Amino acid sequence: MNAERFEALAEAFGGDVARWPADEREAAAVLMAARADWARSVLGLAGEVDTALYAYAPPQASVGLADRIAAAGPRPGRGRWMGFLWPAGLGAGLAAACAAGIFVGAHLSAAAVSAEPLEPVTMAVSDQDFDFDLDGEV
Amino acid sequence: MRLGDSDDQLLARVAVGDPAATRAMVARKLPRLLSLAGRMLGDAAEAEDVAQEAFLRIWKQASRWRPGEARFDTWLHRVALNLCYDRLRRRRELAFADPPDRADDGPGPDRGLLAADTGRRVGAALQSLPDRQREAIVLCHYQELGNIEAAAVMGVSVEALESLLGRGRRALRVALADMKG
Repeated sequence: MNAERFEALAEAFGGDVARWPADEREAAAVLMAARADWARSVLGLAGEVDTALYAYAPPQASVGLADRIAAAGPRPGRGRWMGFLWPAGLGAGLAAACAAGIFVGAHLSAAAVSAEPLEPVTMAVSDQDFDFDLDGEV
Repeated sequence: MRLGDSDDQLLARVAVGDPAATRAMVARKLPRLLSLAGRMLGDAAEAEDVAQEAFLRIWKQASRWRPGEARFDTWLHRVALNLCYDRLRRRRELAFADPPDRADDGPGPDRGLLAADTGRRVGAALQSLPDRQREAIVLCHYQELGNIEAAAVMGVSVEALESLLGRGRRALRVALADMKG
């Protein structure tokens, strides 16, 4: 590395050689060892701009910003399609699902009536036996 | 929050709606986004808007993200910079239609060099740079991206990035010369 390249790197990347491109640092260190006073002067000048830049603090997040952002994030069980449907109106989606259910149910009922007479159905309510008296008390 | 999670791992958890991962992603990236947008735009409120919009893109992208195809932080910087450039473009259009009085950012007799004042002056000097020079300085100095990654985010060669940095920092030195000592 020659002096001109060293100065160009200081001008571009500042006075801290640790922040220079990794593949240039070793050659820079050699030059710094050979011409210490000159190198110190070049880096000192570049460091003045670094110091000024550090004085410009970034904005701080306003109260509640992080919570608002996180609240808009994905939720469990909402895949891509649910994520699409949700803001567009879950009510519309549910209404469509209900309508489809009623339509299918009505057709199945009609088909069942036309096929065979219904048979008695026994349904297990739980794994316990219940005794009912005539008053309906358990 | 699992501190050891990489961005990709965290994003995978965000995609399945893990609320802890979502909060962790906000904690990890919000300061970086505010730093980037705040320094690109010089306006805290606009920086928050950009950060919120960028997070909406993250939430949308989470389930589609393919680890290994790109570095998440690089993608996020590009997204946020595009949002910043949209706003800068709108500002220019407005300024063209209705040019504002130019604020005096230079030193005056009653200007002390208190820290806040110094910060304001540096901010004003940074805002007066051409956008691409400011972008290079923000990415390399404030966001601490390496030269290869910063060049990739900007879509320029490493040599072009170096040139933008050099010109930008020289202009800052001139603008802030009276602050020395």
